[in-house]
Amino acid sequence: MSEAPNNDPVDVLIIGAGASGAAIAWSLTETRMRILCLEQGDWMTPSRYPTTQVDYEAAQFGAFNVNPNVRGLDNDYPVNTADSPIDVLNYNAVGGSTIVYAAHFPRLHPSDFRVRSLDGVADDWPISYDDLDPFFAQNDRVMGVSGLAGDPMYPPKDPPLPPLPLGRVGEVVAGGFDKLGWHWWPSDAAILSQPYDGRDKCLNLNPCSSGCSQGAKASVDITYWPQAIRSGVELKTRCRVREITLDEDGMANGAIYYDAEGRECFQKAEVVIMACNGVGTPRILLNSTSSRFPDGLANRSGLVGRNLMFHPVAYIRGIFEERLDTHRGPQGTCILSKEFYETDTSRGFVRGYDMQVVRGNAGPLVTALQGHHTGQIPWGPGHHEAFRQRFDHSASMVVMAEDLPEAHNRVTLDPELVDSNGIPAPKVSYTLSDNSRRILEHGLARGEEVMRAAGATEVEKTDLLRASGWHLLGTARMGDDPERSVVNSWGRAHDVRNLFVVDGSLFVTAGGVNPTSTIQALALYIGDRMKKNLANLFDD
Amino acid sequence: MDEASSRRLRALLDTILPASDDGRMPSAAELDFSAYLETQAADFQPVLADIMSRFEDGFAEQPLAARVERAREVASADSRAFNKLVFHIYDCYYQNPLVRGLIGTHPAPIFPTGNEIPAGDLTSLAAVQARGKGYRR
Ligand SMILES: Cc1cc2nc3c(=O)[nH]c(=O)nc-3n(C[C@H](O)[C@H](O)[C@H](O)COP(=O)(O)OP(=O)(O)OC[C@H]3O[C@@H](n4cnc5c(N)ncnc54)[C@H](O)[C@@H]3O)c2cc1C
Repeated sequence: MSEAPNNDPVDVLIIGAGASGAAIAWSLTETRMRILCLEQGDWMTPSRYPTTQVDYEAAQFGAFNVNPNVRGLDNDYPVNTADSPIDVLNYNAVGGSTIVYAAHFPRLHPSDFRVRSLDGVADDWPISYDDLDPFFAQNDRVMGVSGLAGDPMYPPKDPPLPPLPLGRVGEVVAGGFDKLGWHWWPSDAAILSQPYDGRDKCLNLNPCSSGCSQGAKASVDITYWPQAIRSGVELKTRCRVREITLDEDGMANGAIYYDAEGRECFQKAEVVIMACNGVGTPRILLNSTSSRFPDGLANRSGLVGRNLMFHPVAYIRGIFEERLDTHRGPQGTCILSKEFYETDTSRGFVRGYDMQVVRGNAGPLVTALQGHHTGQIPWGPGHHEAFRQRFDHSASMVVMAEDLPEAHNRVTLDPELVDSNGIPAPKVSYTLSDNSRRILEHGLARGEEVMRAAGATEVEKTDLLRASGWHLLGTARMGDDPERSVVNSWGRAHDVRNLFVVDGSLFVTAGGVNPTSTIQALALYIGDRMKKNLANLFDD
Repeated sequence: MDEASSRRLRALLDTILPASDDGRMPSAAELDFSAYLETQAADFQPVLADIMSRFEDGFAEQPLAARVERAREVASADSRAFNKLVFHIYDCYYQNPLVRGLIGTHPAPIFPTGNEIPAGDLTSLAAVQARGKGYRR
């Protein structure tokens, strides 16, 4: 093995090149500090994404499976989810999970930041929707967000591009919502409905979850990163961080990582920013032990890894007599409903859920295989008729519940499982709460009503989708009280004054919508606060 | 593969995906599964050989109903291997340009042609808006 190169010290070391790491790198470029990002994965090659190949659907079951335990690439780390009814899903590359995300791009609602004050549960955030509002807008511009202004479920906002087409699925299910007199609205999406900023518009290539060959979907390897790199940020790939190190004063002074050749290296830094997501960040903090922090870095509160929140998901599929071209279109949500988003305790639960109508992923292979596993499309005689009735004749809806923080839902280090560099793997222990279960039950019943109102002749329901750990939140929460939170209101660790967290770990509560717009707005907000406080960044 | 083995494989393909009753959809045996195996599923070949060894010599000569019965027995004896077989037969079948044309989707790859989808009618959103502000602060 050759000797590890000597690294020059940097001002800012960012760990993880996903949604949040890219946003903060871009935000800090104007400081002219020396910024380096270490990312365990590689750059992607869009010209080799599956939609450029004939067997594009099969890739979802192999190298583009969204479950790292199934994918098992060298860039991945395993996650022990034996104690969880929900699997952790992610992607590890420059772009992080935005490589495979569906780019449905809602913001958290104003009430999501005040759940204790409004509903007497969990905790309020130390910041408000209004604090994030300018950064939501800034992020929408950099990512390129399509949507329709005027949704009465939000304060005014104005997406830079017009909405994506509803498609037949959206039109038909919207008819169901209309019949019931329930809210619906075209979804905001980080997918271009028109050419924008040198990128071309969406071609409706179907499965966005195996990368966007067209570059219309805003994964951060094609939005934030090129701009940040042009402005001087350095990004090193195939560098997997094992731990953050401390100096004798208890300040972070860098990170130990393994490079592409497996050599152990050290990177010295003045400021360290964690952006490895709600599972990857607590994993590395917990693995960074010292005499000062025997239970993991910045973990005096004992909360690193605790309060893990997903968005538990129930799934409803309506089968229609008419052809809906279900497999066409960008995969994510085309329309959504916030009818049951805000708390109404007469429903038997607090907080609420989002109903998202999805399309684009039920291509012929996926339809046939799903039918094989559920028994609805048999192999042998009868296959073609059953396939004909279902393929392109279904509309699906996701009921996405707001999960509340519970300390026993957590990420710890697995005592045995390790990644290819020998770093302990994360272990997830998670139980679905009664409140979340009641939300899902309510959503399933309402979802069936919508499908029937829209004309479905048959409705299939899945009460909890195992493959739904897309959103990884809450494991290094923000707050003003060091006893009840890991970082302060601008992402700085209470215990280590030059260590920041900018990813979904920060979330105090989860809201009932996809989080990436809010994660990135938070990263930009934290970047802004850092820039404003540069002279006294480490002061009490 | 010798002649007897390839006859058995064709019979198995025709059992899993026979032609449709109206003759519109072809049987999986009519497509070039061997080329698919070579170019896209080389790893699967040993599993396939193992599955094929469970089908006796006379399998290819049996009527469809008897072949289905035998395939069910093999499936319940080793569902993992059988599910892999089904996966590859479907993968080969549903990427075939002829099949894709018949089910109303254009030949893969979908990039760079893409799909046209309708913009949809947004007029009923006026009624949604008329219900007024729905968020809390
Ligand atoms: C299939 C799927 C669909 C999704 N759809 C949506 C959607 O429609 N809308 C939405 O809002 N959200 C969606 N999400 C979630 C979204 O992708 C995440 O919220 C977002 O990417 C999180 O950003 P992040 O920066 O916290 O982490 P990530 O984007 O996951 O980035 C973390 C990065 O850190 C790197 N890393 C981790 N550990 C180390 C280490 N030790 N050393 C070096 N690098 C490391 C990883 O390789 C990765 O690149 C989806 C996710 C998935 C998996």
